[in-house]
Amino acid sequence: MFDVILQNFDLFLFFCLAVLGYTCGTIAEKRHYKSIIRREKELLKLMVVNAEGHFAEGVVKQSFLVNGSAVISNDYFKRMLAILRNIFGGRVKAYESLIDRSRREAILRMKQEARAKGAHMIVNLRLETSTIGRAANQKNQVGSIEALAYGTAVVMNRK
Amino acid sequence: MKFTPKYIDQNVNVSKTHPLVEMAWLIGGLLVLVVVLYLILGFTAELAVTKIPIRAELQLGEYFADNFDSVDNPALQQRLQQLLETLPTESPLHQYDFIVQLVESDEINALALPGGHIVVFSGLLEQVASENELALVLAHELGHFAHRDHLRRLGRGLGLTLGAMLLFGEDSSAGRLATNLLLVSESRYSRQQESDADRWGLELLVACYGHAGGATDFFRRAARDAGSHIPYLMASHPHPDDRVRELQALIAAKGYPVAITESLREDLLTVGSEE
Repeated sequence: MFDVILQNFDLFLFFCLAVLGYTCGTIAEKRHYKSIIRREKELLKLMVVNAEGHFAEGVVKQSFLVNGSAVISNDYFKRMLAILRNIFGGRVKAYESLIDRSRREAILRMKQEARAKGAHMIVNLRLETSTIGRAANQKNQVGSIEALAYGTAVVMNRK
Repeated sequence: MKFTPKYIDQNVNVSKTHPLVEMAWLIGGLLVLVVVLYLILGFTAELAVTKIPIRAELQLGEYFADNFDSVDNPALQQRLQQLLETLPTESPLHQYDFIVQLVESDEINALALPGGHIVVFSGLLEQVASENELALVLAHELGHFAHRDHLRRLGRGLGLTLGAMLLFGEDSSAGRLATNLLLVSESRYSRQQESDADRWGLELLVACYGHAGGATDFFRRAARDAGSHIPYLMASHPHPDDRVRELQALIAAKGYPVAITESLREDLLTVGSEE
């Protein structure tokens, strides 16, 4: 038994990393989603639209750039799923939650910044996604993805 | 336009499938793919083997010969020559330049490698008691050559390596795992091939010595050490008991006479006693 492990040490390591990736990845994802949903509900009243804002004169008191970004890492288990998916084709379901989490987290951070600065709404929301880290776009490496959300925060003249 | 904040609970961007369920489906699919590939390769190897000319095989053999730390053994070579001379002149085996090599190892085994190399482990030589037994062992290996079993195995192994490379890329651990697992299962002949080689070997033994004496001695001795049958259900070699029974049935069916065996001559006795 021990010999077999030693002989195929890289495979054994890979298997361990996959198990670690699955357990930790699942726990992290559950906690993250919980926190995302809670904060999204908290910040629901702060309006975010991706339309350009056209305001009548004197309505806007102040406007400024706000942005938020989040980096979420892939794990070995998700990577294995994606590799297997590459053979058969189809939706890479393993990566869907990574993209979803990073985008929502980025928007949340942007909204938090806007609220801290006293904005009433955010217009012109834009989203960017990129892979980052030493390993990005490299074979046999686990990479991370970054989502960046930016927009124009608007403070109204309210009486 | 009035802005009405409303929280949307469902998330369309993430699939609901449990990752482990997806993993199970994908691995299942992969296994089916591998099995299909394996069957196709087995089938094509079977077809191709009979068509590969011996000349092409000889070139291949040079690559394999270096894998073993072996020395040529003139005493064994002489025994083999004796067997080869009894083969009919039209036998395709005459195209090979057979070389018998001895490897110092406790393993009780002999191998037929592509290109006409026969490797005998010294552990086997220690077990052999008579010239007739040794002749059967060598004839058995010649049987593998006659049926071209070594190429059959090689064809499948090469095909599998190629398949794993195509699927997983040239240097991936998943690919290596697949090849390792499959090569282990392919590294020995099937039981059917062993039985066939036994039968072929027996006929050559009878042709050489004029009787079938000593044919079963070696396996009978091995059976005593092998013990229970249960592990042999899985093993690639038939249980020695079964081989003895099969050989005896064949001897009886063909009516081969069984005479006294010739004890091992001096030149090979020394190899065993050196150990």
